[in-house]
Amino acid sequence: MKENTEVLKTLGDSILEYIKRKPAVPGAIAVTVVIAIIIGIAGGPAQVVNAIVAGGMWALLATGLTMILGVMNVPNFFHGESFMVGAYTAYFIFTPIHLYLMDNPNKFLSTIAPFAGFFAAAVIGFILGSILEKLVFYPLRSKTKERWVMNSFLLTVGVSYILSNGVNLVLGPNFRGIPRYWDVPPIKFFTIRLTVDRLFAFFLAMVVLLLLWYFMGKTRTGRAIRAVSQDEAGAAMVGININNIHTLTFSLGTSMAAIAGAALLFMFQAYPTVGLRPLYYAWYVVMLVGLGNVSAAVVGGFIVAFLQTATQQFFGIEWGEVVPTVVMMIVLIVAPSGIFGSEVKGIQEQ
Amino acid sequence: MIKSTGKASTIARTLMSRTGFSSSGIILIAILAVLPFIPPFNSEYILRWLVVGAFMAAQAVAFDLTAGFINVVNFGFAAILGVGAYTSAILANTGPHIIVQPGISPWIGIFIGAFASAFLGFILGFLTLRLRGLYAAIMAWFVGIALLGLARTLTPLTRGSLGMSPPSFFDTPSNMPYYYLALGMMITIYIVTKLVTTSHIGLAFKALGQNFDAARASGINPTFYRVFNFTLSCFFAGLLGGFYAHYFVSMTPKAIMHTSKSVETLAIAFIGGRGFLWGGIVVAFPFVFLLEYLRSALPQLPGIHIIIYGVLMILVMIYYPNGVAGFITELKKKLWRLRKPEKT
Repeated sequence: MKENTEVLKTLGDSILEYIKRKPAVPGAIAVTVVIAIIIGIAGGPAQVVNAIVAGGMWALLATGLTMILGVMNVPNFFHGESFMVGAYTAYFIFTPIHLYLMDNPNKFLSTIAPFAGFFAAAVIGFILGSILEKLVFYPLRSKTKERWVMNSFLLTVGVSYILSNGVNLVLGPNFRGIPRYWDVPPIKFFTIRLTVDRLFAFFLAMVVLLLLWYFMGKTRTGRAIRAVSQDEAGAAMVGININNIHTLTFSLGTSMAAIAGAALLFMFQAYPTVGLRPLYYAWYVVMLVGLGNVSAAVVGGFIVAFLQTATQQFFGIEWGEVVPTVVMMIVLIVAPSGIFGSEVKGIQEQ
Repeated sequence: MIKSTGKASTIARTLMSRTGFSSSGIILIAILAVLPFIPPFNSEYILRWLVVGAFMAAQAVAFDLTAGFINVVNFGFAAILGVGAYTSAILANTGPHIIVQPGISPWIGIFIGAFASAFLGFILGFLTLRLRGLYAAIMAWFVGIALLGLARTLTPLTRGSLGMSPPSFFDTPSNMPYYYLALGMMITIYIVTKLVTTSHIGLAFKALGQNFDAARASGINPTFYRVFNFTLSCFFAGLLGGFYAHYFVSMTPKAIMHTSKSVETLAIAFIGGRGFLWGGIVVAFPFVFLLEYLRSALPQLPGIHIIIYGVLMILVMIYYPNGVAGFITELKKKLWRLRKPEKT
């Protein structure tokens, strides 16, 4: 009994110590909870649930973005285009299956058909990431490391415009969307009506993040990735192939964005510039929590989602970009390395 | 007699180098000045491309002042240009669609717009003061997003996404006066930026761009120089925005303030060469011609010009970071070395 109180006391002390060291973290979480309660009172609990679903997706996007940033020091501007590619892939895989199922109803197939879309999006995203890494960033890396962060950022800007305009060229500017993945009635939970698609999108985001956490923490390759992000020269010295690790990290990040695009196809129809808003939100999260801080990006995703929902609730949908941007500008001025603290070396200096 | 002409020529040469004109530069400007009278270029259709070329070239020079010297890529450049355009357009408005009808002449409004943009640049300079490279670029990007959002949202003033149609500068349908106006603006912007960058201020810019901490340690005041740089660059952006408003006489927030417009300017400035200022001018004219030609020849391929911009920008950034201007400078040096032994 006495031991238990001792443990509790030390735990409380360490929490207090943490709060004293980083007062912004509990502050941000408290503000988010307050915003969530206000949204819940003003707009009904459905709004809160929607914000949580969106938060899961922004977390998935931001985690990929911040992982690329942390390991390779590449600030990725075409993350939104990876999202777009994922959305298109899911559309082109899912729609033919769906049309086939309209003629030949099959309960089992229609349950698993969306998974084919998600899986294809993940694979295509992975392939796209590896091709672009080998084609664009590998040559730059082998040429010069000078001003790497800024130069690679501008390269990603170029890639972003090539991808979105290339898709526009090939597939045209029309919107391609689906009403829903699963044709089942929404789940009722007290007064909240939640479609299965939304629920599954959140679930998928959490599963992917858990898998990533397992991969980064428990496997050899994951440990190698973390080693490269901490000290590239040291990692090379113990025999890690830096180039392969960079390609793998980049492809994983792109693949995660593509999964998000596929899972949100029922909300964001696929069209060439669909990635713009997801890109904004992913960057808001990354700037909010600090560059390269992977675990905090998950929390940041929810904070940004609540901020976005609150903006739409109280200012109207046309202010949806202005208010979060201004908030992020304030964060950048007050705490340039994010409220959770940055973990990336070498970005501040460049 | 011989001595005095020698003196005159040295004075002329120093004046030329101070204002940034080599003899080939003078020839280039002369060619550009007479171009609208030479047959393939004297049709109104082609003249319009020339105007766009001069406009893009001037933008690239103003953009390079920040990107090439203090090494901060201003992703909000187009948005700040748009602020100049909207200020001038609103001040010139006489129509009933907007709540204010000041009806001020565009010739005055363009300068008020430029000062509004300069003020925003001043604020942006302060906002990005503590931030380095990437952070400053992202801050400028966020400012650009916020300004674009504001232009869409403040519908009583800007009519939002419907766009505005401000009055034009000249009463003629000809593009000729606009071309000389754009060319004059381009040359003025170039001379002013060159005068600034060849003075000790330019040296301070370069020092801050290369190594911020070392520059600060050796007594350069980062606050003054960075804010001054942003203010000047954004002043020119606002001026060009005013030109856009009263030349194209139709504008929407997306067509003028979107980040993709900043990226187009960035691509031209970087393909031209960072930190050279004149690189953008050399690249802009052939580029605008090539791309406008592609656009008219291949209307079934929309957006192909942006893809070409992107591919060229990536190739230049990976394989030739100094761009076209760096290439020309190196070529000149090599030729000079070839010539020198003959002289002695």
